[in-house]
Parts: sequence; C-alpha cells; structure tokens
Amino acid sequence: MIETASLLAAVEILFSSASPWLIVIPGIVIGLVFGAVPGLQISTAMAIFLPMTLYMDFMQAMLFLTAIFTGGGFGGSIPAILMNIPGTSSAIATAFDGYPMSRQGQHNVALGLALGSSCIGVIVGYTILFVLISPISELVLKIGPAEMTVVILWGITLIGSLSSGSLLKGVISGLVGLLIGTIGYSEAGVTRGTFGSTYLLDGVAVIPAMIGMFAASELFRLVKTEYLIEDSAARNVSVRLILKGFRRALAHPWIVLRGSLIGVFVGAVPGVGSSVANLLSYMATKRSSPAPESFGKGNPEGVIASEAANSTSEAGSLATLLALGIPGGGATAVMLAAFAMHNITGGPQFIREETDVVYAIIIANFGQAVLLIGLGLVLIPVLANVIKVPMNYLVPSVLAIAVFGAFGLTGDLSGPVTVLVFSVLGWLFKRYGYSVPAAVIGILLGGMAEDSVIYSYQISGGQWSYLLERPMALAILALLVASLFGTRLVDILKRRVAA
Amino acid sequence: MARQYTPISKQRIADLVVLLLLTSLVAIYCVDAINASTDILNLILVLPVTLIVLVLCLVQFVSAVANIRVATEDRERFVDVVPVAGLFAAYVLSLPWLGFDIGTCLFLGAFLWLHGERRWPWLFGYSMSFAFVLSIFFSKMLPYSMPMLILPVAAG
Repeated sequence: MIETASLLAAVEILFSSASPWLIVIPGIVIGLVFGAVPGLQISTAMAIFLPMTLYMDFMQAMLFLTAIFTGGGFGGSIPAILMNIPGTSSAIATAFDGYPMSRQGQHNVALGLALGSSCIGVIVGYTILFVLISPISELVLKIGPAEMTVVILWGITLIGSLSSGSLLKGVISGLVGLLIGTIGYSEAGVTRGTFGSTYLLDGVAVIPAMIGMFAASELFRLVKTEYLIEDSAARNVSVRLILKGFRRALAHPWIVLRGSLIGVFVGAVPGVGSSVANLLSYMATKRSSPAPESFGKGNPEGVIASEAANSTSEAGSLATLLALGIPGGGATAVMLAAFAMHNITGGPQFIREETDVVYAIIIANFGQAVLLIGLGLVLIPVLANVIKVPMNYLVPSVLAIAVFGAFGLTGDLSGPVTVLVFSVLGWLFKRYGYSVPAAVIGILLGGMAEDSVIYSYQISGGQWSYLLERPMALAILALLVASLFGTRLVDILKRRVAA
Repeated sequence: MARQYTPISKQRIADLVVLLLLTSLVAIYCVDAINASTDILNLILVLPVTLIVLVLCLVQFVSAVANIRVATEDRERFVDVVPVAGLFAAYVLSLPWLGFDIGTCLFLGAFLWLHGERRWPWLFGYSMSFAFVLSIFFSKMLPYSMPMLILPVAAG
C-alpha cells in the first residue's frame, strides 16, 4: 500500500531545503490564536491567509494551511477548558470534563492533557491516513444518505449517555435541539418557525447558538463568583503541571488510539466529521470506564478522548479532500480553493500521479505535531493567564468577545442576537436540569438529519427494505446498538457466567 | 453541587412552568410547519420528532407531579442573574445605534460599575481600551463592515 519511491521523493521534497518549514511555525501560531478566540473559526483564519499562499509553491501553501488547521484544532480546546466555550464545534466534548477540571484548579493538567492527546492524535491519525488513504477514500464513496442518517442517529443517541442528570430531560433537550436545527427553509420550499424574521430563513446560526448556550449561560451563573478558580493557590499557571498533563495523556494509549480511529474514519464523512467524532470518542470512553459517573465532573479521560478524536478528524477530512476532491467542511473547502489557485485538482488521479506530494503533506503533519508540542508549551502559559482575571472583568469581556465573534460568523446582527437568545435558553436549561450539550448536538445535526432522511426517502421510495441493501448503514447501525447496549450486555453475560 | 430534598416548592412549580414552556414552543413550531405545508418533505422529520417530544414531556410532567418530593440543586439567585442578562440584552439590542465601539465600552463600564468597581481609572481605562482594541481587531479581521459610532467603519 506504501510506494517506497514516492515516499523517498516526499522526504526529498520536505527536507532538501528549509523553505517548506519556514511557514509552518507562523501557521501553527495563527491557528492557535484563531482557535483560542471564540467566534474566530479555523476556516476564517485559513480564508484570511489564503491569498498569501499565491506567493508560495503548492507544497508550501499546503504546509501553511495544514499548519493553521493543526494549530486551530488544538487552539479550540483552550477556551473550552478555561471558559467552557468550545472554540469550535469539534471541541464540545473537551469542555465536558476540561472545564470542571479548571474549576477544580486542574487547568494546567487539563491543558497538558489536551495538548498531549492532540499531538499524539495527529501523529496516529496521519499514520492511519498514510497507510490507508486509498481504502478510506473508497469507503467514503460508499456513504450515501442512508449511512449519513445512521451516523447522525448515532450522534443523537449520544444524548442519553451524555446526560448527567435526568435521562428523560436529556432526550427532550436533544430532540428540542434537533427541531431548532430544522428552522428555516425546508426541502418543500416553505419556511417554518421563522415567525417572519428574515434572519432565520437560513436557519439558526449554529455556532453563535452554541456560544450562547455553553458560554454566555455559564457566565450568567458565575456573576457572583470572584474568580474562575476560587482557590488562589490553584490559580497558578505551571509548565511543570502542563507537562504532567501531557505525560498523563501518554499513559492512556488505548483511549488515544480509539479516539484516533474514530476521528479518522468519522472525520472522513463530509459535513458530519469532527463535530460528531469527538462526541463518539467521548461516549465510547465513558461507556467503557469503570467510573462512568465521574465523566462530566472533571475526568481527565474525557479530555483525552475528545481531543484525540478531534485532532485526528483533520486527517480524515484531508483524506476525503485528497482522494476525492470533496471538502468535508469549511477548512478543507479553503484548502480546495488553494488547490484551484495552484491549478491542482484533488481526486483519485491526483493520488495516483502525485503520490509523493500526498506523502509529503502527510509526513509534514508529523512534523507539525512535534512543533505544536513546543509552541503549545510556550503559548499555553500565556493564554492560561485568563484564569487570573477577576470575574467582574472576565464575564463582560468574554461576553463582548462572544458578541464580536458571533457577528464575525454571520456578518450581521443576527449572530449577536442569536447569542443573546440562546444564552437565556441555555441558562434556563442548566437551571432546570435540561442537557445543554444534548441540545447543542441536536441543533448542530438537525438540518443535516432532515436532509439525509429526505434523500433516503426519495431514493428508497419510502421502502424500509432499502436499508437492507446498504451493508455499511447496517454495520453502523450495529455499532450504534453495540455502543448503546454493549456494556450492559457484557455485564449481564459476566453475571451469568459468574452465577 | 450539593443535592438536598425539599417538599413541593416554588422551585418545583418553576420546573413545571419551564416544561410547559418547552412543550408549547415545540407544539407552536409544529403547527407553524403544518400550516406552511403538509408536504411529506416538510414534515418527514419535524412531525415525528415533535410527537416524540410531546409524549416525553407528558411523561416528565406526570412523573414530576406524581413525585411528592423532588430533587433540587443549589441554584444561583434570580436577582443576581436578571440584571446581567438585562444588561447583556440592552448591549446586543443597542448595537445598531451605539455601534460595537461605544456599545461595548458602555456595556463593560456598566457591568463593572454594577459589580462594585469604583476606581474611575480602571472603570474608564479598561472599558475604553478593551472595547476599542476589540473593535479595531475584529474590524480589520472580518471581511465585512461593522456598525461603529466613532471608529471608522471599514472592512478588513
């Protein structure tokens, strides 16, 4: 599966001169900063800096853009851990345990865990991509709307396991989120739930809604708190503890490996990718843990699982781009634009004829992961100082950043208004025991779920037997059932054997 | 959060009110969708999901009413949250008139004042510098113009 001649050519492309690497460090720093500022998306950073790649050769351009991608993938975890604001939708599960760890004064360890699992995840993910790029691309081609529906269904079933309180309220939250995600134009050409607002024609802006539900609502709850971490002694930023967290990530190779596998395969699914991968990995880790009740309360394994998957999903989405020329999300869409700017078309032919370039891109990402360790260790202590800011300064400042970021995402005032509405909704949800993460997952997947169900209906003509003709959909369905009932089934079998 | 058990209280009534509110919103949305079109493509997901939510809400309502005692959590006080939420709402809704520069400056200043900051150099200095740095940074970064009152309105 690995072509030695192309591999040697790739090594020569990368290491014959230092020039391809000169733009990697600024790329990672840009990604880190954009990922760490809520509302500034990685795809925005890549789009802003895309024109610069006109002055680079194709290899440099790809290294620069993937460096932003890699830096941003980890950068999103910083606000998720420190402020409960997932910088991107792929960092949602990182906030589940990262933020409680911060509140307990373990922010250094949590950031180290995120850095460690992200870097290892990138290395593992690209290793899988290196070996399996062709099979992955063939697999992606077999994904139709039925498979998409089942993958989304898988995402939605996470609701039950993610709810730390009432399971019923968790499911209600997720389904309400799903309905919110369908607001706007429908396939039938009519609008629903807009109540006359033109801002809602395209639906609810997902990321501002997510910022509102997670961050703003949490800040409302913290207004009477003096500091994010009450204990002044625990507020220190320590590189030693960050390194301790980094090492602790290495102590959980199985969680990292499982997260990486989930990340690379789910990440390859266009559109769903990284948003679902981190949740699936989190759920799998929670289910297999001997103490599942500790998840959501500051379990380090939750941070490792989420970060390993979301950093690896980058490799998965790149597989789809390189092998099929299909961008899986905003960031890979910008990369596709870079392809076009350099007169290159991704797809099977590109992989066949430019294998050395494909290998070079993959190998470069190993180097980026190593560089990310160094840059992360330098930049995290600077960014982590946010916990030393008194809450009466931090709360309005973060709310203002959220408003600016939301405007940046929508380009009009619908973004800030969405943050406002969903901050109140999120606060009500938290106050009365409904699951905010479940609602956010629902909002994220609502539109996509409806599209997939409609396409499945149109293709199948409404016949359920269509599903039997889709072995991959059935396989994912089996995985879904196994992830829901597998642990319970094993327990029952163990008890019977013991009896 | 410490869990404690209390008899029927205002809090439980509030729980039920929130549940009813959610149920009503979901029902209103579904009715709006049906009124818009009864085409299967329009209702293929909305209708079944709504029905499931309504059933689940009913189950939740019955179990909440049937329980004599209810688990409650320590909750932040309304009087602490409402002024902040109100101020935030005023900030967001006034952006078209005050712009991001002045709106943010006033929001920060008012928030700090409300939460006990009385040192004028900090109050003015922080509010103005943070608001203006943020406004300039985002206006330079974003490809579209932002509403501003003092700073120049220019896309980056």
